[in-house]
Amino acid sequence: MKYHILDKKNLDSFIKSLARRMKVVGPVKKSGKNYVFKEVKTADEMSLKYIPTILPPKKYLMPEREKILDLKFESDGIKEEAFIENEKIAIFGVHTCDLSGIQCLNIVFNDKPVDKNFLMRKENVFIVGLECNSYCDEYASCGLVNSYMPNGGFDLFFTDLGDKFIINVNTQDGEELVESLKLPPATPKEMSELDKLRDEKRKIFKNEINVDPHKIPQMFDKVYESKLWEEVGNKCLSCGNCTNVCPTCYCFDVDEKISLDMSSSERIRSWDSCQFETFAKVAGGENFRKERGLRQRHRVYRKFKFPQDKYNRFFCTGCGRCSRTCMAGINLKDILVKVAEESKI
Amino acid sequence: MAKETNKPKIAFFDFACCEGCQLQVANLGETLVDLLGAVDLVEFREVMSEKWDKDYDVVFIEGSIGDHHAEERLKKIRERAKVLVAYGSCAALGGVNGMKNGFNIDEIRKYVYGDKYSYFDSTPTKAVDQVVKVDYYIYGCPVYLPEVVEVIKCILRGVQYSVPDKPVCAECKLNENGCLYDKGVVCLGPWTKAGCNSWCPNNGNICYGCRGLVSNPAKNAANDIIQKYNINDKIKDLGQDLMKKKLEMYNKAKEVINEPKK
Repeated sequence: MKYHILDKKNLDSFIKSLARRMKVVGPVKKSGKNYVFKEVKTADEMSLKYIPTILPPKKYLMPEREKILDLKFESDGIKEEAFIENEKIAIFGVHTCDLSGIQCLNIVFNDKPVDKNFLMRKENVFIVGLECNSYCDEYASCGLVNSYMPNGGFDLFFTDLGDKFIINVNTQDGEELVESLKLPPATPKEMSELDKLRDEKRKIFKNEINVDPHKIPQMFDKVYESKLWEEVGNKCLSCGNCTNVCPTCYCFDVDEKISLDMSSSERIRSWDSCQFETFAKVAGGENFRKERGLRQRHRVYRKFKFPQDKYNRFFCTGCGRCSRTCMAGINLKDILVKVAEESKI
Repeated sequence: MAKETNKPKIAFFDFACCEGCQLQVANLGETLVDLLGAVDLVEFREVMSEKWDKDYDVVFIEGSIGDHHAEERLKKIRERAKVLVAYGSCAALGGVNGMKNGFNIDEIRKYVYGDKYSYFDSTPTKAVDQVVKVDYYIYGCPVYLPEVVEVIKCILRGVQYSVPDKPVCAECKLNENGCLYDKGVVCLGPWTKAGCNSWCPNNGNICYGCRGLVSNPAKNAANDIIQKYNINDKIKDLGQDLMKKKLEMYNKAKEVINEPKK
């Protein structure tokens, strides 16, 4: 593990030299408590003390709308050509919850059949993590799912040590950048400052709901038929905000955009949501998840039960976005507390 | 323009409306050239004086239906049209003209036309599909041009167009707009059909509900939203009333039961 030091006054030249190599995006304040990842050229455009952005950085790895195929309708048949866009891009200031989200997507899209569009993008993304020294707000549950400490998934990882950042170098790309900028290695004193900060963090970040995460999958075995889901469903707007903002939701729809002269077409993949009325509706009008409650149940099981069975990890990163964004006040932590109460485990 | 070709014959007609949705067609820019390459425009009062005396392949109806004459005229157009499109919120929903339906019809006639009101026929506002069969719906006040183009492509291919049946919030979130409820204003996004790419919130305005309600609007959510954003603290317990009134601005006509035929 290599650690280097960047004086805070040199952050701007760091961002600028990164921007000379590739497009750089970082957290930028939009309005009120709303932040978004967007392109930056200098450090002062960014807000490094930010709460999770409206959309997670997944928007750069699987864009909300992306072309995947070009079609041409010619006299001798249809000509198809796969389309993969892969721009070199650096995402600066990714919190550990969102690093965990990208890891989840990576697991899913590397599973067969592999998703080439995602993987090509992933290869071209340079990720700079940023440590949270304390909680962002009351919606987060990174203590529960243990995502508040760095656990890989980055090229470089920044931790704020007052007037400087200590940078953990995790990949060859990261090392090349740090060396080209001649950033000095961390001294033993700076390493112990980092250790001290992490010890402090262990006191700050606690299991937010006092439910044993190891027992959560078992709990979900017991509450599938619970009335709880109907109660949640009664509040739900089916607006899909919770899934759109989720760093691990990846469901998509595919449609064709045919030109007006009908000589060509583009196949477009766009985000879909299991919360939409139409998501599980099939030809003939049958809807497999007609009730809002069933759709909310599906969402929560897709975070805490199904991926646990399949990939042995939660697909909740504790970022709190779903609860923060829900206009009707559906709160994931409240749901988990009720699941624990009802399952009596 | 109205030459004999194999291209579909398209006509635009207006009823009770501001004609703004038709005007949007002129804003299509370059796409308008492509569109005119694919169809024959045979009747369109805003842009040409020619009339067409044969059948139409596709007619676009703008406006709501607000008197007996309009009803008869619409039925005659329908008889001559293979495909009929309810174009814009007045046609597809009744739109703002539907606010008339909140009043006694004779009182509102007196208010508008004075003591000679009986010379001026007026009936409760109806959406086009409350009078004749509608094949395609294009919502919006005004219509959202990228959607208009998509619907026209569907018509030309003879396939259905599915109006998005999810709330505007879904698109608003993808545009990374801060929620307007955070600012303490009442926005109709949670109940209104998407498909406009959250046009108004993108420009800092609330959703006025011009595209009509989703097919299964969340009935219980209003109280939860009012509570989460303390709306009632701000406007003295009038949150529910305000939401209802805002919803009626575009959606009132759909409450009308068709008058019995004479």
